[in-house]
Amino acid sequence: MVKSFEISANCAGGIRHLPCAAQRLIVCSRRIAATALTSIPIKRYMKSPRHLWLFLLLPILASLAGCHDGSATMHTLDEAAHSRMGVMTGTSGEALAARQFPKADIKHFDDILDAIAALKAGQLDSVLTGYPTVLLTTQRNTDLTYLPDVLSTEDTSIGVRKGNTELHDQLDNILSELKADGTLADMKRRWFKEEPGPYQEVDIPVPTTGTPLKIGIIATREPISFIDPHGRVTGHDAELARRIGQKLGRPIEFNALRMPALIPALVSGKIDAIITGLSATAERRERIDFTQRYYELRQHLLVRADRTTHAQGPSMGERLASSVRSNLLKENRYLLLIGGLKTTVVISIMSALFGTLLGAGICFMRMSPSAWLRRPAIVFIDILRGTPVLVLLMIIFYVVFASIDISPLLVSVIAFGLNFGAYSAEIFRSGIEGVDNGQVEAGISLGFTRVQTFVHIVLPQMIQKILPVYKGEFISLVKMTSVVGYIAVQDLTKASDIIRSRTFDAFFPLIMVAVLYFVISWVFIKLIGLIELKTDPRRRRQREARS
Amino acid sequence: MITIDRLNKRFGGLHVLQDVSTTIHKGDVVSIIGPSGCGKSTFLRCLNLLERPDSGHVFIDGEDMLAAGTNIAAVRQKMNMVFQSFNLFSHLSILENLTLGPIQLKGADPAAAKDKAMELLRLVGLAEKFGHFPDELSGGQKQRIAIARCLAMDPEVILFDEPTSALDPTMVREVLSVIRKLAKDGMTMLIVTHEMDFARDVSTRVFYMDSGGIHEDSTPEQIFQNPQKAKTRAFINRTRSLSFPIETRDFDFYGMNAQIEAFCEKHLLAKRLRQNVLLLVEEVLQVHRPQLGEGLLTLTLEYSERLNRLELICTQEGPDRHPLEGDHLPDEFGVLIIRSLVESLEYSYGDGRTRLAMAVRAGAPLGGE
Repeated sequence: MVKSFEISANCAGGIRHLPCAAQRLIVCSRRIAATALTSIPIKRYMKSPRHLWLFLLLPILASLAGCHDGSATMHTLDEAAHSRMGVMTGTSGEALAARQFPKADIKHFDDILDAIAALKAGQLDSVLTGYPTVLLTTQRNTDLTYLPDVLSTEDTSIGVRKGNTELHDQLDNILSELKADGTLADMKRRWFKEEPGPYQEVDIPVPTTGTPLKIGIIATREPISFIDPHGRVTGHDAELARRIGQKLGRPIEFNALRMPALIPALVSGKIDAIITGLSATAERRERIDFTQRYYELRQHLLVRADRTTHAQGPSMGERLASSVRSNLLKENRYLLLIGGLKTTVVISIMSALFGTLLGAGICFMRMSPSAWLRRPAIVFIDILRGTPVLVLLMIIFYVVFASIDISPLLVSVIAFGLNFGAYSAEIFRSGIEGVDNGQVEAGISLGFTRVQTFVHIVLPQMIQKILPVYKGEFISLVKMTSVVGYIAVQDLTKASDIIRSRTFDAFFPLIMVAVLYFVISWVFIKLIGLIELKTDPRRRRQREARS
Repeated sequence: MITIDRLNKRFGGLHVLQDVSTTIHKGDVVSIIGPSGCGKSTFLRCLNLLERPDSGHVFIDGEDMLAAGTNIAAVRQKMNMVFQSFNLFSHLSILENLTLGPIQLKGADPAAAKDKAMELLRLVGLAEKFGHFPDELSGGQKQRIAIARCLAMDPEVILFDEPTSALDPTMVREVLSVIRKLAKDGMTMLIVTHEMDFARDVSTRVFYMDSGGIHEDSTPEQIFQNPQKAKTRAFINRTRSLSFPIETRDFDFYGMNAQIEAFCEKHLLAKRLRQNVLLLVEEVLQVHRPQLGEGLLTLTLEYSERLNRLELICTQEGPDRHPLEGDHLPDEFGVLIIRSLVESLEYSYGDGRTRLAMAVRAGAPLGGE
């Protein structure tokens, strides 16, 4: 009951940012909800799917409309001092906001795109970010603008591991050369464009053999570093990295990571350098070394534009069509989604296979009469079930395999497999214990060995018993894999992040991905359901009766 | 064919089987009877090693089950078991329950195994249920299937562990008649059972098990008509008893009477009998009163359900002196009343105690009222 009221309270908060028609709809449906909540028991109300659909539909409609009223628009820094301000975790902007706007309500986002989406939705009043992002965002979103005040200027430099002086000096020299011959200025002109239009890319031949230089990037920072329609890393900093590779005579290997993972990856040796618009702040200098700067980053506040600039917005249908065009069709972005879908499915299936085998082994140990086998199994199960899988994933990638060159895909399968193994071991155990011991005795007294009894009598009944639970566990595994982006695996969620980073459209890709996860889960549920039918003796008999 | 040599089994501190030795011959139908918890089921389960004995030997056709290197699973194929709770494989149809063993263990041809299974289902009268699943059958039907499942393995011996204990009285008969038929066909069987009439009819030997071993091993006629040992007799006659040790003249007489009445009610004794026994107890106490305090007097009521007989046994520590005879009695009335209330009266002396056993009369007292 309480929860439902909270939901309607939230609705009320978000309402003022919606267009009139949507507002009227929401007010109307809230009235229905209020009546429903007070006049009929909540259970009955929740059972009515027609009303529920309305609620699910509203935020989607509202998001496609993507509108807000102009009253909250800011024009000066003074107004910003008490505003709701978005920053990206781990960036220099985050530290700057805390320093310069101590009274502002600062919200921390894992990705600047999420902050921009929140700004558009009216949940924020401003977003503090670097000029290249500001420029591009305002070009692509007519409803956003920025305050001209420069909040700070920072040195954008290449990060290298402390003590790796050889690489540091090499990179410093290369940057000096590029600066001297005007290459850096030319790159800046081509990538950080004041006017919208296609980028002029320069083809830089990079060696394909030799020890690769591993570069850490954030793949969602157009125009600094991002993924192009062919799935290739591109942008100002990517070009810089390729030029470095060319000069060093080494191939370049890009590792797309999340902001919080960049510096740990560098320190642990997973990557050799960070070239992704990283500001050389004092705090970061304590952990890693920086080269000289290759451009100057100015921090600005991104805000919503005055309403008058787009008084007559396009209709909802046009918005939807344009969302489909920009998010799916343009530059064949749907291919990214398909690629991500494949990765998600592969990781899910491989982890489930590995986890099931592991779970069977752990279950065997757990049920063994010997304490030497049983104890380690109990410890394994307790630890794995008590650790968030994301933390486990990061530990395996950045700690266990810190200095080993291992495919992040394999690490994902290991991490999710371990987690799934711990859960499935307990599922198997409950299944085995659920089989009546009398039947085991009957099997043994007929002359079956213990193993034969297990195979012919316990196993078929166990499978039948555990499938419903196993199915649920598998589906939650599929959904859990959405965090693999943290270790640079490009799965479905990451693919949608990449698309969002290009289109600056928060909602359509998210809803797309939600639908895709649902479809994957649904297909798997149906597939496991088929196995369930196969192992159900009654169904089998019906089938036999028919044939 | 089965030789059991000094078998021992303990459960914690409980010594369930103590040096049990016996031999079962081919064609023997052995019923094993005895009170609950006497080790009947454990004995059976030790034969096919569902329970591992602590010491001793079990020889099946000369092969020692407990010797290292014996293929126990192979020996078990010759000696199947029927359980109290049926234990049919619930994920398999009736037919598959019967064919699983022969196909997997004996490498039987599936078609042949199926034919044979149908034949056995006909034998137990359940051929039309072949496609059903165990949970669609009644208890009696399940147990008949369990027997057929054993037969499908062509065993030399079948062990029955209380095959009818989990069944409604109405279903007991259908299972027992299947077992009777097997006995007639000469199958070697060991049957733990509480069905005394069945045990008497069907067996060639009866083991009465009590206090950690085979207390009496004999023919059914001997065991049921003329058991040689007291414990066997008490069990066969289904005797229940109640005793009161009396030490002083100040014992709780009314409390004792109340207990006697409760005992009589519990065993549904006739009202007349109840009155008689209360009267008798009072008179017997009167007779023994002078000696109270000199030695322990014990009054015991024994009721045999099978014989429908209530006995009062009265033992007293002291010299060999018939309590109802001699000149120590104040008058003859007490003795007269006692004699009118009993059907028989027996006096004996042993272990420094006098013992007076009286069968209480069920009808009106002789010459009374």
